[in-house]
Amino acid sequence: MTIDKIRVRVDAIEQVAPLIREFQLVPVDGELMPFSPGSHVIVEMPDQPRSHRNAYSLLSEPRDAACYRIAVRLQEHSRGGSRFMHEQVKVGDELAITPPANLFAPNWGARKHLLIAGGVGITPFMSYLPALQRVGAGFELHYLFRSKQTGAYRQQLASELGERCYLYDADEGIRCDLGELLGDQPRGTHIYICGPQTLIAGVQEVAQALGWPTSHIHFEAFAAPQPGYPFEVELNSSGRTLAVDGDTSLLEALEDAGIAVPSLCRGGVCGQCKTRVVAGEPDHRDQFLTADERAEGNCIMPCVSRAAGKRLVLDL
Amino acid sequence: MTIEPLIKSRPSYGPVTVQINAKLHLFICTAEGQSALQTLIDAIPQTQRQLLVFSATDARGAVDEKGHSLLAEQVGAALCDAPLATAIYLSGPEAFMWDLRNLARSVGFADEQIQMCEPVGNARRLFCTHCYAITEEVSHSPQTCSGCGRLLLVRDHYSKLHAAYVGVQINAEDPAEIPEPEALS
Ligand code: FES
Repeated sequence: MTIDKIRVRVDAIEQVAPLIREFQLVPVDGELMPFSPGSHVIVEMPDQPRSHRNAYSLLSEPRDAACYRIAVRLQEHSRGGSRFMHEQVKVGDELAITPPANLFAPNWGARKHLLIAGGVGITPFMSYLPALQRVGAGFELHYLFRSKQTGAYRQQLASELGERCYLYDADEGIRCDLGELLGDQPRGTHIYICGPQTLIAGVQEVAQALGWPTSHIHFEAFAAPQPGYPFEVELNSSGRTLAVDGDTSLLEALEDAGIAVPSLCRGGVCGQCKTRVVAGEPDHRDQFLTADERAEGNCIMPCVSRAAGKRLVLDL
Repeated sequence: MTIEPLIKSRPSYGPVTVQINAKLHLFICTAEGQSALQTLIDAIPQTQRQLLVFSATDARGAVDEKGHSLLAEQVGAALCDAPLATAIYLSGPEAFMWDLRNLARSVGFADEQIQMCEPVGNARRLFCTHCYAITEEVSHSPQTCSGCGRLLLVRDHYSKLHAAYVGVQINAEDPAEIPEPEALS
């Protein structure tokens, strides 16, 4: 995005689950802004040999602009972002973040909100809950996790929400019966899912079998770019060629070369980064382009997608 | 990014099709509207469908703001008893269908669960942007507002909320000027 970055300082770090760390970020100068529930920021991490930019949901009270809190799960097959946050970042360090953007806001017209979180997918709901409680909305939180890895904030949530909080710890053998859960909701309920793709697909499948209207189902995946093979990208306007290594996303490679491409989710869902392809075949990994657009092959979402071959020419 | 072409707010009515995933098919129409639904009704087993037919008089301005009316009561009961996987099919005058659509949405139905046939007749409900009064069964433009008496140009702009077309004074500069009324399509 071309919006100014905000410089923040890490004020505190807390291990909130075996694989999840929470970071409290305060502004270096000036003030942070309040945000809407479900918002995220992109954190820029000055790692070597190259920086990372990952999106994290804000989990603080949306009206509190004194500090932003994010939680980062250490990803095993991380391209470096989560590992950098876990191993390098110390209290007192400075980081740059974008202003909050929201791709996962609650639908305030819902008669009831059914929140389904998987693991670190609890994070966007941490900002939903104060807002839902403030307006007296009907809601339930169903939180699926493995206590040996995730499950952050579960005691706090259980005591604050009481019978509106349902915990399912797979490491204790406690599973959520999605069919039963979705089959027993009043009409006008909206479902929100944040978690791994398997959980999202599972809920969608059950919902479809039960005849849920699709416009009442909202989800946010952990959509980090996955590594791939290295390739070259040529910029059509200048003829300049850049090398994209296997661990760098195409978008990051462009940004590192000083080429501004708008982005918002950096996970292939929002459509912001859509770029025209002049030559070469894209390896589409986004969830934004339609099947027809993919078949035409003249657009790419560089935040997650790569080249299918060794070279791409972009209309940049 | 590509920019979507401007969408005109006048509703368009595509073909109505059976929603195969639905467990209950709820058909609501006026007597004149039933024929447009008949093929669909016949295609669905009796145990999975419910049909509510209203006379033109029942249907007129049928659902007032408080939802008080025979029609609203009957439809409301059917909607509340309906299972989650219900498809609604509407046919009749335009304002009648949109009233029912708004009623269904107010009890939690999603837009994609509600389908409407091509409206029966050209009559429009008119919403006055000056006094907010509703004038029913408007067939010509300009039309005198039933509330404030202004002469209103009937626009193609449709307010889903009011289930009505929006009317604005046509001769605000010179009220003595009375343009010739034209039939609406
Ligand atoms: S930034 Fe959202 S799709 Fe690429």
